[in-house]
Amino acid sequence: MKYALFLGCKIPSRLPAYELSARAVLGRLGVTLVDLEFDCCGYPARNVSRDAFVLSAARNLALAERAGLDVLAPCTCCFGTLRHAIRFLHEDAELRLRVKQALAAERLTWSGNTAVEHLLPLLAREIGADTLAAAVCAPRTGLRVAAQYGCHALRPSNVARMDNPMAPTIFETLIRATGATPVDWPRRLDCCGDPLHEANGPLAASMTRGKISDALESGAQAICTVCPHCHLRFDAVPAGAADPAIPVLLYTQLLGLALGLSAKSLGL
Amino acid sequence: MSQALFQTALYASLALCALGLVWRASAWFLVRIGPDVREITFSERVAAVYRGTIAALFSRDLLGLAGAFFLDVLLLRRLFAHEKLRWFGHLLVLVGFTLLLSMHALAPLVTANLFQGYQPTLAPYLLLRDLCGAMVLAGVAMIYFGRRRPQPGLAQPRRPLGMVFIALLGFVLLTGFLLEGHKIASPRAFQRMTERYVGYSDAQELEPLRALWASEFAVAFDHLKAPIDPGLVAQGRKLHSDACASCHARPESAFVSFPVARMLAPVTGLLDAARADVWLLYLHVFACFLGLASLPFTRLFHAVAVPLSLLVNAAATNRGYSSAGRAVQRALALDACVRCGICDARCSVAPLARNLGNAGLLPSHKLIASAALANGRLLRPGRESDALRAADGAFLCTDCGRCTSSCPAGLDLEDLWQAARGDLVAAGLPAPAHWVQERPALDWAESLGSGCGLHAFSDADAACAPLSADRNSFSRCVQCQTCTNVCPVVAHSIEKADGVDLTPQKVMNLLRLGLRDLALGSRMVWDCATCYQCQEICPERVRVTDIMCELRALAVQRLGAVRGTRGRS
Repeated sequence: MKYALFLGCKIPSRLPAYELSARAVLGRLGVTLVDLEFDCCGYPARNVSRDAFVLSAARNLALAERAGLDVLAPCTCCFGTLRHAIRFLHEDAELRLRVKQALAAERLTWSGNTAVEHLLPLLAREIGADTLAAAVCAPRTGLRVAAQYGCHALRPSNVARMDNPMAPTIFETLIRATGATPVDWPRRLDCCGDPLHEANGPLAASMTRGKISDALESGAQAICTVCPHCHLRFDAVPAGAADPAIPVLLYTQLLGLALGLSAKSLGL
Repeated sequence: MSQALFQTALYASLALCALGLVWRASAWFLVRIGPDVREITFSERVAAVYRGTIAALFSRDLLGLAGAFFLDVLLLRRLFAHEKLRWFGHLLVLVGFTLLLSMHALAPLVTANLFQGYQPTLAPYLLLRDLCGAMVLAGVAMIYFGRRRPQPGLAQPRRPLGMVFIALLGFVLLTGFLLEGHKIASPRAFQRMTERYVGYSDAQELEPLRALWASEFAVAFDHLKAPIDPGLVAQGRKLHSDACASCHARPESAFVSFPVARMLAPVTGLLDAARADVWLLYLHVFACFLGLASLPFTRLFHAVAVPLSLLVNAAATNRGYSSAGRAVQRALALDACVRCGICDARCSVAPLARNLGNAGLLPSHKLIASAALANGRLLRPGRESDALRAADGAFLCTDCGRCTSSCPAGLDLEDLWQAARGDLVAAGLPAPAHWVQERPALDWAESLGSGCGLHAFSDADAACAPLSADRNSFSRCVQCQTCTNVCPVVAHSIEKADGVDLTPQKVMNLLRLGLRDLALGSRMVWDCATCYQCQEICPERVRVTDIMCELRALAVQRLGAVRGTRGRS
């Protein structure tokens, strides 16, 4: 298995542990990761210009196509944005033409053959939860974690195509493979609040705190994430006496520990 | 050269340079970038620099600082990591220029004291002078040809008097080589040297020596044109080894000036008559003085600001500075940037900048805008569109940190962007989510001239927001409120005074009623978390979230056009 690793903007600058742990875990599992000169996925421009956002995404897809690789995006928002761009390109012929012309100016083409993959289905289906479970040598038995899917991993389901958007199980299955126990928490499918932290800080904080207290009330010892935005969000909201904090663990770190990788190699 | 004139010019240019340096350095203690340093006074910054310097000099950090000086300042490690050609060019200029300055320009002070019996005509000085000059020339060429091309379709950032410095440097090198070449070719110089060092009284006795120097060392005697009698040359060789060779290197070792001398041969007589040796020297020396005096005002100033910035940043690893220290660091960054464009090429939103046609997204332009904002120029009347574009660019930055990691001057650009965004907000130029919500939705709809929000779709609108332009995409909405029921934003703003004004289903209803412009400025549209709960659950498969995103993009475009200066404070 070989993928072009699409780190996006947040992982290298704010959450290098995600890159470190993803490389360590995927390396152990025999996935080859290739680094290309990717730029922004286009997410920030969605609120400004549809063309600019789709073009930025398409440029990355074209770079991957030129290298003959599919894209693996550990950031759920990058994953969603790239997938959205593909959808828009498929359904809008005029947009496709404009993007094609803009790419041609850089001697790039995208013929629609790049697949964009997320860590969860890669681990659960391509590699297989059973294979993972068999490779686990240090099971995290007794650890109760709350799976934070991240909105764009699930919705809209015809774009994400990952799991049942109302009752997903893929993340919980992967958590079980590490020996840990996934908790059932009512707000597990809700937004972490991160997209609003600049537009409306108090609203974003209210959403994040709601999720943290829900996870704690549901008996979780940690929230497990697969998106830098969610992860940093749970880490960033200040805790107080009335608002207790909760440890946040990347799934790649949880899996890495279960696979017997050192804490240091996982950025812990 | 007249000593009095030389001295006067030297001290005048030194004084100008010193005054300029003081003026430039004072900016590091006065320029305010970032809301967090607005209250910090001049004296607090001076104290912070003083404390920081003392702390760095008398601690274990000194070793790290010495390492940074060696690797970052002298060997330009950061430039090497990204641009090999420009790095090599800089190294050539650095070595060549430093040697020329210390060993050639300051020869009476430095070289003469270090090396006994120093004479500029001796080996290896004759060779080394040309070598250093050639190094600088080659280095400048490498820097020039290795420069980054501007981003296609976007304006080049304004550069700090780049060409003035290059032109001065080139002029100094050119006059240097011309002067040296002319002196090699000049019979007048030959005569002066022989009178002084050979000492024959009879001019005829020197004829063999002239023959040799004419045939082998390119001295352009009028009466000694090729072919020259080989017998005479052979005699000259004997004289040469007795009288000249011990104190004069073979002129062809000046491997640049010697060919210049050959080229000048046809006009050497004229140049000699016009005393080119004198005025070329004046030009050469005064160009150097001009370079010295203008150092604080041209691009050469980066030779001062970049090393300082590198050392300051090395001493402040992990942003260990107080606000006062950071204030200095940011102001220094504005001077250390030479718009080399490495950050622009690495910028992850550069494709967005190109597509939006807004260079304001690129780091070098953002730095210029930060400076213009700090000194108030950006907010002057007539520059509204510049200010708005700068703000549009600043708030699309993803803070990916690639500019900071690739900056050859080691500038903490992320810190600068964050500070600049704070300044933009304070100047009434916040991110779209904020400036749109400064006015009620109805107010915006009125500004658009669409009365209660009725507005026909233009083709441009349809391309920008095709779902909201196509009634098929929302007319299925049956107002069942399922979207509103699952919306976390609605849930979290219920019973809050500043909660959302509309609900997702009401936004869809405005579209159904053709009142789209009323939705553009609504809190619901701008507070949407894009979690896609509504879109996923809609029984009529209305793409609610996609439409919300479109409405925001449309709002930025349409409301941006009528925004004017009204929102400014």
